[in-house]
Amino acid sequence: MSSSTASWLRPLVSLFLAACFFLPLYLVLVNVFKPSQDIVAHPAALPVPATTANLQAVLDRPDRLFWYGLVNSVEITAFSVTIVVVLSAMLGHYLARTAGLAAKVTLLILLSGLTIPSAVIISSLTRVLDSFGLMGTIPGIVLADVGYYLPFGVFVFMGFVKTVPVEMEQAAAIDGAGYFRTFWQIVFPLMRPATASVFIFLGVWIWNDFLNPLIILGPDTGTTVTVGVYRAIGEHQTDFGALFAFMFLASLPVLVLFLLFQKSFVKGLTSGATKG
Amino acid sequence: MAARSTPLRHAPPAGPGPAARRARRWPKVSRALLFAAPGLVIYTAFVLVPLITNVANSFTDLNTFRPSTHWVGLANYRALLDDADFHQALHNTVVLTLIVTILPNVAGLGIAMLLDRSGWFTNALRSVFFVPTVLSAVVVSVVWQKILTDDGLFNRALHAVGVGSPPGWLSDPDLALYSIAFIMSWQVLGFCVVVYLAGLQSIPAELHESAVIDGAGALASFRHVTWPLLAPAVTINTVMLMITGFKAYDYIQVITNGGPGSGTTSTIAFSIVQTAFTGNHVGYAAAMATVMFVGIALLSAGALTVLQRREVTL
Repeated sequence: MSSSTASWLRPLVSLFLAACFFLPLYLVLVNVFKPSQDIVAHPAALPVPATTANLQAVLDRPDRLFWYGLVNSVEITAFSVTIVVVLSAMLGHYLARTAGLAAKVTLLILLSGLTIPSAVIISSLTRVLDSFGLMGTIPGIVLADVGYYLPFGVFVFMGFVKTVPVEMEQAAAIDGAGYFRTFWQIVFPLMRPATASVFIFLGVWIWNDFLNPLIILGPDTGTTVTVGVYRAIGEHQTDFGALFAFMFLASLPVLVLFLLFQKSFVKGLTSGATKG
Repeated sequence: MAARSTPLRHAPPAGPGPAARRARRWPKVSRALLFAAPGLVIYTAFVLVPLITNVANSFTDLNTFRPSTHWVGLANYRALLDDADFHQALHNTVVLTLIVTILPNVAGLGIAMLLDRSGWFTNALRSVFFVPTVLSAVVVSVVWQKILTDDGLFNRALHAVGVGSPPGWLSDPDLALYSIAFIMSWQVLGFCVVVYLAGLQSIPAELHESAVIDGAGALASFRHVTWPLLAPAVTINTVMLMITGFKAYDYIQVITNGGPGSGTTSTIAFSIVQTAFTGNHVGYAAAMATVMFVGIALLSAGALTVLQRREVTL
């Protein structure tokens, strides 16, 4: 194979593979904007003329499943992510700047939490939440999420604290700033990339979470949009248009987040892949 | 806290008096309280305590609808040894973990090497592969279920090209587990592509050039230059994929609900949730959960040790 063949073959093969890979999502996208009878007849055709009837139907559902789910998802994600960022930045900084056995053991216990699957603790977790009267409540699931995702935040922030020169903190201390002020005014602003990583990853993970909201919120208190998709499956066995529109709307926030912060996404993911 | 702190303030040499000692000690304690305690309290209450009570529950016959609970010793674990359903779930979990660890790893490396050029075209395609990674497993499951179901889009397409009786990708007990493994692999592929691309692009071009000068072909150059230097990326992908495969729950719940038939696609995570919340055998589910936790801890620790040993630094 001559190098000139390879130079046009490579993008062509890449494009073909990417197109095959994307086909399932293409099918969802085009069918969101098609009337249901067209979906069955021509599933792969472009939506010409396009209709927003499916989206409208989801937004106008009499049970308001989408809107209730959206409000819950936004509340749960915003509170959980913000609290994890604040607490894990402080804890990560504390552990990174503290020598000694106690800090090492604490770190080990925290990091072992990185691999605990939700399914392992969910049953006992419901008992703990129940004893605080937090089952079926937004604060309950927020606290559960904060505990569960805290190790990830600590892991990211600790790695980053090491790049902040300790001399800067000492200088601030000499100038009379207390530990609290030193951290929030000097250290935390320097850790913006770490904060961005934690915000983006946890935002996506908590938005997409299924088991925790399914069990902790339960069927009575309402759902998140992600659990809403699951609940919508049963009622839309044949109405693909409405189901796809629900999924499209439920995924839109994370897709927008991804498109806006693509660079930080990739950077956060790959910081460990290129060490050395 | 007996921890020594990095000195943050140049405290004047304090006298030996008890008041001075208290003053020196106080910032250390308050710093721990202010910075470490809030996170640790929440982590303890909502992760560690459930983890520990779960182990305790696994030695009981705790049941949601029975008023009294008794210690049963190792009875739950002994029952697990003879539980055919659990063995099937364990077997399915191992199969899923193996496929999900190998398939996206290999395919992701291939695609990353194909895309390993700079420019907008590569970046655009990389984003295409990455999109499923930010979608929820529930959404991905529904999409593929609608495609792979018996009269779904895929089989209708097969019909159209003349396949008389296409297989029931999700309804055939011998196939469903593999279909789910494929769906999971599709979703995580983009993660592997992005991590491998970053790994490839961190390898200095001079290394490949000198390999070529030394007479190495493409294969030898890959084997002796690319592959060893890609080790950190291999570690990240493999550990991440193993954990993803091992804890599979959402896909099973949404796509097959453990079926077709009895438990043909059930995983450990799925069995735990079913046993605890549908069967209400909380004690028995706790024993399964303990086995799962030990399994995933050993798996990730083992993989990390093996994989990090072959990582080289430039």
